[in-house]
Amino acid sequence: MRRPRTELTAYAGIVASIAAVALVLGAPWPAMALAGSLLLAVVPAGAAVMCWLDSGENAAQAGLVLVVSLAVFGIASAIMIWAHAWHPYALLALAAASTVSCAARLQREVHQ
Amino acid sequence: MTPAEQYLLPAPAAGLRVRARSIRRWVQPQVAVSLVGLSSWAYGVTQLRPTGIGIYGLLASSPWLDVGLFLLVAGFLLELRREARTWVLALQLVGLIIAIHGTVPIIFGVPEYDWVYKHVGIASAFEQYGRVTDPTNIYQQWPVLFAGVAAIASLAHVNALTFAAWAPLAFEMADALLLVAIFRLLVGERRIVWLAVLLYEGLVSWVGQDYLSPQAFGFLLWLGMALIILRWLRRPTPAPDHGGRLARLRAPLLAGLPPAPDTTRAMRAVAVAVVAVIFFAIVAAHQLTPYMALAGIGALSLLGLVRPRWLLVLLAAIAGGYLALHYDLIAQQFGGLFSGGNPLANAAGARGTPNASSAAVWSARTVDALAGGMWLMTVAVIARRRRRLGPIAIPAVLALSPFAILLAQSYGGEAIYRVYMFSAPWCALLIAGVLYELRARIRWALIATVSVVALFAGLQGLYGPVSVNAFTPSELNASVWLYAHTPRGSVIVLPVDDFPAAEAADYNDYDVEVPPADPQLGPSWMNEGNVEQVESWMASLGQRTVYVVVSRSMNNWANYYGAPDGYAELVRDLPTSLHGSVVYHNDDATIYRLTVAGAN
Repeated sequence: MRRPRTELTAYAGIVASIAAVALVLGAPWPAMALAGSLLLAVVPAGAAVMCWLDSGENAAQAGLVLVVSLAVFGIASAIMIWAHAWHPYALLALAAASTVSCAARLQREVHQ
Repeated sequence: MTPAEQYLLPAPAAGLRVRARSIRRWVQPQVAVSLVGLSSWAYGVTQLRPTGIGIYGLLASSPWLDVGLFLLVAGFLLELRREARTWVLALQLVGLIIAIHGTVPIIFGVPEYDWVYKHVGIASAFEQYGRVTDPTNIYQQWPVLFAGVAAIASLAHVNALTFAAWAPLAFEMADALLLVAIFRLLVGERRIVWLAVLLYEGLVSWVGQDYLSPQAFGFLLWLGMALIILRWLRRPTPAPDHGGRLARLRAPLLAGLPPAPDTTRAMRAVAVAVVAVIFFAIVAAHQLTPYMALAGIGALSLLGLVRPRWLLVLLAAIAGGYLALHYDLIAQQFGGLFSGGNPLANAAGARGTPNASSAAVWSARTVDALAGGMWLMTVAVIARRRRRLGPIAIPAVLALSPFAILLAQSYGGEAIYRVYMFSAPWCALLIAGVLYELRARIRWALIATVSVVALFAGLQGLYGPVSVNAFTPSELNASVWLYAHTPRGSVIVLPVDDFPAAEAADYNDYDVEVPPADPQLGPSWMNEGNVEQVESWMASLGQRTVYVVVSRSMNNWANYYGAPDGYAELVRDLPTSLHGSVVYHNDDATIYRLTVAGAN
C-alpha cells in the first residue's frame, strides 16, 4: 500500500531535522556542518507545515517544503537581527518544532 | 514463446534475458545521447581556463561545451517524444541545469558578478555584529535573505563566499521543481509541462538574476506562493449569468477554464496563513518582488479566480506597511515609489556605450531578439486562442501582469529585466502548449529548433560577458588583502566598477569610489587617461592616501564595453605620472597606494 504523501513528508521532516542537528552540532568538518545548516534551512519548517497539507503532487509537496522552510528560516534569522539577539543556534529550535509537528502527524495516522 | 514456456527456461537464461532487456533500456538513444552530452560538457569544462576564454564568451571558447549542451537538449527531447518517463526527464533536466549553471563556478571557483560580494558583505556584517550596522544601506533594511545566509554561515563556521558561487545552480534547481509542480496544475499533458520547463531554462538563462541575491530568493518564494494560490485558493470558475456586469465581461476570458482543484475550508485557511508568511519573507527581502507578486495576484483577482477576496488587500497591507516604515530609503535610492510615469523610459534597461566591442553588441542583440521573440510568440498564442481563452487565461494574465510595474518604476534601469524574469515562466508554458499541439508533420523538428535556439541564444547572453562578470581566486585574494591590511576609513578607488569588493563584514568602514568615467553607470565627464582630471577628482575625495585597484576583470570590462575612456592609459600612468607604489600584486590584480596632492 502506498503511504500518504503527508506521511512521507512527516518522515522526511523528522529525518532531516535529526540529521541537520547532528551535522551542525557534531560534524568534524565544516563541509558537513554546511550540509547540516543548509538542510536546516530547506526542510524542517516546511515539513512541519506540509505534513498536514497534501498538495496532491510529489513535486509540489517537495517544492512547498523548500519554499516554506526558506521563508520561515529567513524570517526567524531577520527577527534575531531586528531584535539585536543574534543566536544562530536558536534556529535549531526549528528542527525541534518540526519533529514535534511531524511526530504528531504520524501519531494521528496510526490512530486513524 | 508463451508466458508459460518462459517460466520453464533454466534460471540463468531467464536472468540473462532480464539483464539484456535492462541493458537495452539503458542504451536507448535518448539516455545514451544525454550521457554522451554530459561527458562532452564535463570534458569541455576540464579543458577551459579563465585565461583561455575569449571576448565572445564560453560558447565560442569550447566546442566540447557546445556539443555537450546540444546533446543534453537532444536527449531530453528524444525522451519527451518517445516515452516521456518522469524520472528520466527529471534526471536529464537536472543534468542540463548542472551543465548550464555549474560551468562558471567550476572554472572560476569563486562567485560570479561583483554584486554578489556586496551581498556577502551584508551577510558577513550580520554574522559578525548580529545587528544592522549601516541603517542607510538598503540591503540591510531588507534583511531576510542576508540574515538567512548569515545564519547558515554561522552554523557551519564558514564564510558565505564558500557556497555563494553555487547559488545560481541551487536557485535554478529549486525554480525548476516549482515550475514542474505549477505547470502540472495548469496543464494535463505532461509533455507540455516538461517542454515548458526546458524552454524556460533557455529563455531565462541570460537574465542572470539567479545569483545569491534577494531577487533570486524572492522569485523562488513567489513561485511557491503562486503554487499555493493555484492549488488551494482558486475560486471555482464563476458562472457567466451570476455576478452582474463584471461576470459577463469576464465570461469570454474564462470560457473553457479547467475546474479549480477541490479544497476544504480548513485547507484554505492554512493556505492563506502560509501565503501571508511567504509574502512577508518576500516583502522583507526585496523591494520590487512584492509588487510583481501583487500584480500577478491582482490580475488573477480581477478575473475572479482567487479567494478569499480580501487576500489581495491583506498582502497589499503587508507590503504597504513595510514600505511605509522604510520609505525614506526608497525615496533616496529610487526617487520615490513612482520614479516616472513613462513606461517606455522605464523599460529602457541598461545603457550601452558607443565604443562597445562587437562581442558585446552581438550578445546584446542576441538577447534582445530572444526577449522580443518570446513576447511576440506569447502574443501570437493569445491571439490564436482568442475564441476560447479559458485554457490559457491563467498563464496569459501572469505573463502580462509584470508589465504593470513599468507604469511606476524603472528600478534603476533594471525593471525591464525583472519584468522579463517574472513573465518568462508563463510565456514558456504558452509557447510549449502551442508548439506541442501543432498538427504539422514537422512538429518535433520545430520544437527542437525553438528549444535549441532559445537555449543557445540565452546562453550567449549568460556566457558572453563571462570574462567580465566572473572573477578568479587571485582577484578575490587581492580584495581580502585590501580589507585586512589597509587602515579603516581608507578610500579605495576602482577605476572600473568590476571587482569583488565589499565582501568584508566591515565594508562600511571603507569608502569605495568609482570615477565618473563610465556612461553605463550614470553621468560621466572624466577621461581616466587624463592625469590632471584623475588627480583633481581624487583630491575631491578628501583623503591624502588613496588605494587604487586594477585587475584582470577590469581590463576585460574596458575591452568588452569600450568604457571607461582612458582606462588603459590610467593603468600605464599609475606607477609613473601618478607616482603610485605597489602595495599588493598577484597574477590578476595590483593594488597601488597613491599620495594625493591638494586633498583636504
